[in-house]
Amino acid sequence: MRRLLAAAIAALSLSACQTVQNEAGAPTTYQDPASLGAVKGVGIESQDIVSMTDQMMRDMLTEPRLANAATAPNVIVDSEYFINESASRINRNSITDRLRVSLQRASQGRMNFVARHNANMVAAERELKRKGVTDQGKNALAAAQRGGDYRLGGRITSLDARDPKTGMMSRYTQIIFEMTDLETADIVWSGIYEFSKAAADDIIYR
Amino acid sequence: MRKIILAAAGLTSISLLAGCAQQQEPAPICNMAGINAQRQLVALPAAAPGEPSPLLEMPLNSVSITDFNVINKLYVRSVTAQRTATGTVKVISQIINCTDYPLNVEGRTQFYDQAQAPSEPVSGWKRLNLAPRTSNTYAESSIGTKNVQYYMVEVRETR
Repeated sequence: MRRLLAAAIAALSLSACQTVQNEAGAPTTYQDPASLGAVKGVGIESQDIVSMTDQMMRDMLTEPRLANAATAPNVIVDSEYFINESASRINRNSITDRLRVSLQRASQGRMNFVARHNANMVAAERELKRKGVTDQGKNALAAAQRGGDYRLGGRITSLDARDPKTGMMSRYTQIIFEMTDLETADIVWSGIYEFSKAAADDIIYR
Repeated sequence: MRKIILAAAGLTSISLLAGCAQQQEPAPICNMAGINAQRQLVALPAAAPGEPSPLLEMPLNSVSITDFNVINKLYVRSVTAQRTATGTVKVISQIINCTDYPLNVEGRTQFYDQAQAPSEPVSGWKRLNLAPRTSNTYAESSIGTKNVQYYMVEVRETR
């Protein structure tokens, strides 16, 4: 009887232990780039970049002309034609670089990516090889650098409003992405990411 | 005669009452019992390391509201998935704000393969603005094609 009682008490105390330790973790300077950080304002922030590039990447993979073509198209994704006309200060490369990297990793051969942003680097190496300054390397020589079938373009625009009485500021930001056929100028895919934020904090973006 | 008048008055009041009963509040129908039933599928996490985990799998092919702040404010009316023209999977879920206040929530989706292992990185959080007593649609597409068999959507309040 005593043993039974002890076993029952042990079982009860064990079951009592099965609760979540619902407390905050150790403080750290690291933040989740996909979530709102400690410093927040009305401009484009890391969670917007992570979210928008993820959305655009996934959406592009649903477009048959890009992701289900008989031959994988040559795609150029860089910031050359990605224009910032908004009031937000932002390095456009942070958007297009993330989009290109995530799209290339995700596409797994469904698209072929051309590094037009590295065209000078490639041209210089090709010249060295052909002049005999260097050997030809292991890969076969190509007649020319690859041309693009589609290229990413886009535009960031914004609309600001401020209440002089309260100092409250709001900004509507609209970011559009377009994939253009480099022969016909057809837009074969487009995506939009928009948000509106309001805040009274005086945040400086650098 | 008085009896007839009384009877008529009674009938009128009954019909008026019935009319009142038919009047519905202009609100979405939020069957929270459905959410409660789903919650019972999720058991407690493991208590001690090295022991077999008593954690049951969170139900796949469903929407899990993982935020206490909105768990009794949102109602997931539907969640479906379909193949796109390129073979990827598109998850579509209709989410209802049952409150009289605007809500900003966000959702993300993890897609799984046949073995119920994650087939790709979890998607980014996608915001959803819900006006009072309205519904909105959350949609997310997978990266992978044939290897995607299951999914799970998480929903939390936007901070």
